[in-house]
Amino acid sequence: MRVLLRRAVFYLITAWAAISLNFLLPRIMPGSPADALIAKFHGKLSPQAIEALRVLFGQSDASLWQQYLDYWKNLFSGNFGISYAYYPTPVADVLASSIGWTLVLITVCTVLGFVIGTGLGMIVGWKRGSWLDGLIPVTTLLSSIPYFWFAICVVLIFSIVLHWFPLSGGYSVTETIGWNIGFIGSATYYAILPALTIVVASIGGWLIGMRNMMVTTLSEDYVRLAEAKGLSKRRVMVTYAARNAILPSFSSFAMSLGFVVGGSIVTEVVFNYPGIGTVLFKAAQAQDYPLMQGIFLVITITVLIANMLADLMYVFLDPRTRES
Amino acid sequence: MAIATATVADAESGETDTPTSRFAWLRAFRRPWTLAGVVIVAVFCVLAIIGPWIAPYDPSAVSKQTLAPPSPEHWLGTTQTGQDVLSQMLYGTQISLLVGVGAAIVATVLSVIVGLAAGYLGGLSDELLSLLANVFLVIPALPLTVILASYLPKSGSLGIILVISITGWAWGARVLRAQTLSLRKRDFVEAARATGERTSSIIFRDIFPNQIAVIAASFLGTVTGAILTQASLAFLGLTNVTEWSWGTILYWALVSSAMLTGAWWWFVPAGLAIALLGTGLSLVNFGIDEFINPRLRQAGIGTRKAQKAQARAQRAKIVRRPARGRGERAAHRPFDPATSDVILRVENLHVDYIGESSVTPAVNDVSLALRRGEVLGIAGESGSGKSTLAYAITRLHKPPAQITSGRMLYTNPDGSVTDILAMGDSDLRDFRWEELSIVFQSAMHALNPVLTVGAQIDDVLRAHRPGMSQAARAARVVELLGLVGIQTDRVNAYPHELSGGMRQRAMIAVGLALDPEIIVMDEPTTALDVVIQRQIIEKIIELKDRLGFAVVFITHDLSLLIELSDTIAVMYAGRVVELADASEFYRNPRHPYSQGLLASFPTLSGPKRELAGIPGSPPDLRRLPAGCAFAERCPLAFDRCHEVVPELLKLSGPAEWRQAEAACLLYEGDGTAPDRPAQDGRDAVEMEDAR
Repeated sequence: MRVLLRRAVFYLITAWAAISLNFLLPRIMPGSPADALIAKFHGKLSPQAIEALRVLFGQSDASLWQQYLDYWKNLFSGNFGISYAYYPTPVADVLASSIGWTLVLITVCTVLGFVIGTGLGMIVGWKRGSWLDGLIPVTTLLSSIPYFWFAICVVLIFSIVLHWFPLSGGYSVTETIGWNIGFIGSATYYAILPALTIVVASIGGWLIGMRNMMVTTLSEDYVRLAEAKGLSKRRVMVTYAARNAILPSFSSFAMSLGFVVGGSIVTEVVFNYPGIGTVLFKAAQAQDYPLMQGIFLVITITVLIANMLADLMYVFLDPRTRES
Repeated sequence: MAIATATVADAESGETDTPTSRFAWLRAFRRPWTLAGVVIVAVFCVLAIIGPWIAPYDPSAVSKQTLAPPSPEHWLGTTQTGQDVLSQMLYGTQISLLVGVGAAIVATVLSVIVGLAAGYLGGLSDELLSLLANVFLVIPALPLTVILASYLPKSGSLGIILVISITGWAWGARVLRAQTLSLRKRDFVEAARATGERTSSIIFRDIFPNQIAVIAASFLGTVTGAILTQASLAFLGLTNVTEWSWGTILYWALVSSAMLTGAWWWFVPAGLAIALLGTGLSLVNFGIDEFINPRLRQAGIGTRKAQKAQARAQRAKIVRRPARGRGERAAHRPFDPATSDVILRVENLHVDYIGESSVTPAVNDVSLALRRGEVLGIAGESGSGKSTLAYAITRLHKPPAQITSGRMLYTNPDGSVTDILAMGDSDLRDFRWEELSIVFQSAMHALNPVLTVGAQIDDVLRAHRPGMSQAARAARVVELLGLVGIQTDRVNAYPHELSGGMRQRAMIAVGLALDPEIIVMDEPTTALDVVIQRQIIEKIIELKDRLGFAVVFITHDLSLLIELSDTIAVMYAGRVVELADASEFYRNPRHPYSQGLLASFPTLSGPKRELAGIPGSPPDLRRLPAGCAFAERCPLAFDRCHEVVPELLKLSGPAEWRQAEAACLLYEGDGTAPDRPAQDGRDAVEMEDAR
């Protein structure tokens, strides 16, 4: 379990680095975000709000160290400031109402994309040298497509031309949000197109990565030995080859996940999905720095947790990491 | 594309095929897909340079022709304000590529500096730099770039380049660090350090050039990523939206609701361009990947050809095979050369390696016979084809290796004879391990690292004895481990938890699982130290005497082989050059090559003699000489040796001799050598002087 402990310490350091970066950026970047915002909302801001803004973005009279401490105090009390794009809603409330949508959508899509892509990659790698290798350029093209552009095309075809799916949003406005069948059904229906976009766009990357690892693993002695043992093809492919080939997917999970999350966030914008991506778009449009920072922190922390889960999986899958 | 580069990290294990030239990677461009990628990328680069000149309109100029579909005037139609989409695309190519390449250059320089420094310096600087890289890898890049870009309001391309590089360097740095670490341990770098070269000059003269391929792969990957990120940022309106790039076009298309009006021509070209360029870059990268990782390359070369040929060869064979039921095996008798019957007969076996441009005959017309309970030792230098022969007997060859002709006749327990090469998939699966098992050289690599030792024996039993209960299987696993001397509490140990000797014992236990007739052992003790080696050999001899299986034992350790074997076959350049009774072979080796081999080993007993090696080195199998392959190095060669390939000849001699055969023209005619050559090694030394 030492491995896991080490990883946990690493994630704590990463979280600290991300949060500190968040603190430093507005203070070292040229121009003054706080002044820009104060000017923009001229007269509409209460003195308390202006003070909060200065604490968040610098130019308070306090020393940098004192500002840093105040910043942490604010974070722990859930005070991310006031959103200007959704004025006067606090950032924390905006995040709370949007994070769930994104979390469900991206979790489901990542799992689906990973399972389908890795599964296909296993088969394509196993049948290397056959006609299936012809799929590689196709999947390469698929994985090079920008998520958001693919989303636009999907909307044009399935919503505007075919009218199969709704154009935008996360649920039908006639439903009330809550744990009722009508709402869940509606939310699922609205989520199909965004999910399809993300899954199809992310499969290619997993597929090619797994295919190449399969090919590399297949020339290992233990795969040869498994064949020599007269085991069934299925067992050789799954338990000997794929079981080992999949391990690097988990160790490079962070990078791949960052990629999927980035793509999904922008995809939400196209669908006007009520998740964090659409909020980020609005925040960027309105130069709503408190909201953007809040989103960055929330996404980073979530990705860190996902990575910890991937590490747990890795330890579970690879006995060599389980020592002492 | 992100995950595809993951394999790069594994490249360090692919040392089997070291490139001979620094420019060998250029060969990768011969693959059609790689070439297609290069062409795509080149076309976009040209467009990026000449785009603004050939654009038919000013991309920002509005006109009355709004939302016009593609027409001869506007090839890609117009936008809501009547701007020409083609012109926007051409201008956009320039900005998108500029940002992509610019960001990739900055990021690659950063990653090279960090990666080389961390990998070479090691210690605390490595820890800190790796931590930094890992932190940047885990922080999701897009939200960070969004924030950075938004602090640089309406910044130009330069700002975007910097923002993207900040998040894009970490992966390359990590890969390069791993590469540097492995290179640092290589001999030539150690040598440079020993001679007191300066650190910077070692890094730039010895390490950097060896990483060009990895750096190129990481550079191209970053270009793709940077173009995508720029498009995303522009799409979110975070770049200067009046500066035309592919992302800006998509931004205006979205905010003008182009999809609602069905103006597909407005947004389709920009996305396609990104996808196409990304594909081109990835295809080039696959070419580089295959260069870095030879295993990927092998998967492509000659595969189809070899598989077809193998299928054809299988169809052509006649299956002489009665319905097989595994009867009780006859109680084993000790091996006796006069009475034991032949269990495996290899006839005229040829195995070729199909290369990109050449065919390498690794096993060339080999015929052997193995009797029940016999230990057949196969000796030879590396590259002589002995391991290829072992794999051929078990039919484990994968393309590019290919069995081109020959037969391997196995005598079943019921007396019927089967050609192993003619077996279909399911027959082969039944045959394997039941009749013939194999023990590999490195148990470290031959045992599945994620399964326990017990599970790797259990799955054989499960596959071949479907009727066996779980309890019976578990009992058998314990019994087998006990047989090879592993404590039974290690059943649930993973291979990495065992010592090298234990792992090799476990391998042998796996090999014994079904009580096979033949066990092929491919250098089973080479990787072990001498004491453990001795224990394992004794265990093998003990088990063989108890269980009565026949062994094909392959090694380059001749003294071990002489002690262990009943019969010895010496291989040279893919052929068997001598086949003889082990003790007779030791006393009186016949082939000049065998004489040379024996002369290069010391003996504990027997008279003192000078040790001598064999001058020269084995021939290149792709360009075998016309006559005897050994003639070049042979102290006794005469003119005809360079013209005629010698057949394996039965030698005459004292009556107690058994099947001594040698492939040497010295024994042509009556089968006796004109004069028995000295074997005390002086000749070889004299020969070397003469050369």
